[in-house]
Amino acid sequence: MAKRPAVQPALHKVIMVGSGGVGKSALTLQFMYDEFVEDYEPTKADSYRKKILLDGEDVQIDILDTAGQEDYAAIRDSYFRSGEGFLCIFSITEDESFLSTAEFREQILRVKNDENIPILLVGNKCDLEDRRKVSFQEASDRAKQWGVPYVETSAKTREHVDKVFYDLMREIRARKMEENKTSNGKGKDKSKKKKRICRIL
Amino acid sequence: MEFSKEPNFELLTAEDFSPEKYVKKLSQNYVGGSELQSLRRKIQGLSEETSSNLKKNVYENYIQFIETAKEISHLESEMYQLSHLLSEQKALLNCLSATSILEDVQPVNIDRDNKVNEKDLEEENKQKIAAILEKVEGCQELLKVPGRIFLYEGDLLEIEPTENTALKIVHVYLFTDSFMITTRNSNSRGLMKYIYESIYDLSSLAVVNVRDLGNVKHAFKLLIFPDTRVFQCSSNSNKKEWLDKFDQAKKTRLAQEQQKRESISEKSPTRVSFESPSYNPFDEVEEETSALHPEWFVEIPEELDVCVAQRHFEEALSLLQKAKEYLNQASSASGDKRDTVFTDIQRKVEQRQNNLTEVLMKELEVNPDKSLQGGLRAARRAVRLLNQLGRETQSCTLFLKLCSSMLRTQCKRVKREGSTTTYIKHLSSVVFTNMCHMSDEFLRAFPDSPACASAYVVWASNELLQFTTHFIKQVFMPQTSLSTVTECIVLVRHQCERLYVYGLDLCYQLDGALRSSLMKALKDARDKLIDSIKLRVLDDKWIPINLHSKSALSRCVQEYSQMGLTNVGSYVSGDTWLQLTASTLSFTKMFLNLLNDCMKLKTTELMYTIDETLYNVFEAQVRHNENALRSELNQDQRNFLTKNAEFLLVSLMQVVQKKYEEKVGYECPTLAKLQKEYVALQKGVSPASRSTKAKYASEFI
Repeated sequence: MAKRPAVQPALHKVIMVGSGGVGKSALTLQFMYDEFVEDYEPTKADSYRKKILLDGEDVQIDILDTAGQEDYAAIRDSYFRSGEGFLCIFSITEDESFLSTAEFREQILRVKNDENIPILLVGNKCDLEDRRKVSFQEASDRAKQWGVPYVETSAKTREHVDKVFYDLMREIRARKMEENKTSNGKGKDKSKKKKRICRIL
Repeated sequence: MEFSKEPNFELLTAEDFSPEKYVKKLSQNYVGGSELQSLRRKIQGLSEETSSNLKKNVYENYIQFIETAKEISHLESEMYQLSHLLSEQKALLNCLSATSILEDVQPVNIDRDNKVNEKDLEEENKQKIAAILEKVEGCQELLKVPGRIFLYEGDLLEIEPTENTALKIVHVYLFTDSFMITTRNSNSRGLMKYIYESIYDLSSLAVVNVRDLGNVKHAFKLLIFPDTRVFQCSSNSNKKEWLDKFDQAKKTRLAQEQQKRESISEKSPTRVSFESPSYNPFDEVEEETSALHPEWFVEIPEELDVCVAQRHFEEALSLLQKAKEYLNQASSASGDKRDTVFTDIQRKVEQRQNNLTEVLMKELEVNPDKSLQGGLRAARRAVRLLNQLGRETQSCTLFLKLCSSMLRTQCKRVKREGSTTTYIKHLSSVVFTNMCHMSDEFLRAFPDSPACASAYVVWASNELLQFTTHFIKQVFMPQTSLSTVTECIVLVRHQCERLYVYGLDLCYQLDGALRSSLMKALKDARDKLIDSIKLRVLDDKWIPINLHSKSALSRCVQEYSQMGLTNVGSYVSGDTWLQLTASTLSFTKMFLNLLNDCMKLKTTELMYTIDETLYNVFEAQVRHNENALRSELNQDQRNFLTKNAEFLLVSLMQVVQKKYEEKVGYECPTLAKLQKEYVALQKGVSPASRSTKAKYASEFI
């Protein structure tokens, strides 16, 4: 990082996880291009990159929009390994998608082998209040239990869309700074090693 | 006291046992270090025993678990069979309900086409992979995984994942199960265009479509922990192609796995109800069954294909035997419990065996396009392998067919040039030398097989029959003299005897085949000789021969004495005269030649004809003498005539009988009779009993 700070702004890798059809791609596209896509087409795996200004600092965000219906657990592991922060998304109109967030989180923790990996629990489709199945209280209880923030978003109305990405990036940035400070200490070697490799390359 | 007791299981496993207290008590009681140490040793012994018991128990539990799993798999396969039966019956019913014949035929054809296509594809894939092996340096090992199918290849530009700068151009290959990256080989201009860089297993490789990466267009990402590699395609459509191919690879793989699972257990409704998605006992069972067989066994059908294609027949055979051994072992070990992988491979192995047999039989088949240059030696390998495959009968038949065709071509090469004798000499030597070689080869190829041996005998006799038919056509022609025929037959007999070494005596058959022709030849010769005698006697003036010079006379005497007629000298009168007629002398010579030929031809079955021939010819001459005696002649001539008759009936007869006896073992009965009949001639008297003689003669005709 110290070698060429001017050339490349910091890169934060965010991964969108959640069951199929909860709106991962919709959120991503809204964030990237300010547009809402009505048609649903299952994603395989798409990646996006964008330069943004985070608290006065130029950074790059790399978004990996994963497939909700990935058949291979091994491939899903590969996705997760590459992430520095996760948006764990469910649809507030669908109980099952909320239930499966627990599975996704477990998998993230297992793959990253890191209890403190930045995760945001995101309840999407909050514009569809009349079809709500998961109460705000229920979701924020779970988030509290995990020790992560809970945010409700709407990819359609763009409510809190920027917030979830920016909040997650702040957390990632904070984690990185913390790790840099203790880079000579023990630290979480796995994620740190990875990050260093990226930088040096 | 309690603590002074020896440590044992009861004490240590007691409910109120507290190790701390126990040790305290012990240390209070035992002061000596050695005592404590021995106690410690005992306790250690106990602990070791416990741990070994524990191990044993764990092991037993495990075995029980495995047995249960096997039992479940067995049940599973039964369920599968049931469901299979049901589906079969359903298909049958459907078939019956579809009454049209045409409709039935069509799907069958389509099915066959599909199979052909599959085979073609397989072949294509093999070729493609071979081509890759030639092009890419250092990837030999990696491409040897069977069942790997090539999907796509192309040039891509690798991009630095964080800085978006171009790194290098790579050439990549996509297979059904893996992704191989190669770089350009700048050093070599030869075949090896690329150098192998890395290969990734598709199951752990995540493909990400890069939708937006600043100014980098048409890119996709591969997440291969811990690496992330970004590749740029030449165009969006190219990228789409790549992503589709990746998707296709993944889908085929999924489908394959699904198929595997389904082949083990078709989902029955009862199963679905109690099955939980996270834990499927049958899946584990399935893994166990496929793991039951070693890898080489699972791959054996493909290996066999390769061996046969490369004509490594021996290797294929040994593989087959290995597989069979394993199959036998496995089937006897598991009884009637067989998993589908096993039966599938068993079926495949059988099919491959048939395939191998077919290929080998093709090798042996007689084909007009195929050169017979290698001879039988070239057939050795195929015959041996077929025998090892237990196809002795077939290989024997093919081998003999091959022999026949070789024999035929060899015979065709023998040109009819020069005299009949030279031709026959050449031909018979070719035929019988070849037959000897073939016998050699045959005995080598089929050493202990009675069935094949009898087939060989039949073959040999057939070949001989062919030969004799040809021989008869060539030799027994009206213009061929008896001595030529004799010479030819002696030659062939001699050749035929060469087969004795192989325990094959075809002489009897040869004689049998030639007998009728020979009889006819003998009769022809007899008629010819009688005709020539008749012609000669017409000029007979009954005067002694004048040889005009002493030397000519002595030469003549010597010539006849060499033939065995030592007493010709006693007929000499004056300086140049011989007291015998010219016809007597030439008859003597001719008859001795006939006798020689007859003796060479003699077989037990021919004796009758030979005797008759000799009698008839001799009689023709003697009758001439008799006729002359009956006609009006002066006394001198009568004496001379009697002398001639005496020479024929005594001197010549003696020599003839001697020669005959030498060959046959007894005197010729017909000639002896003739001698008796004409005994009166010697005394100048014509025999009285004409009637008996005529009757006798008629008997012989």
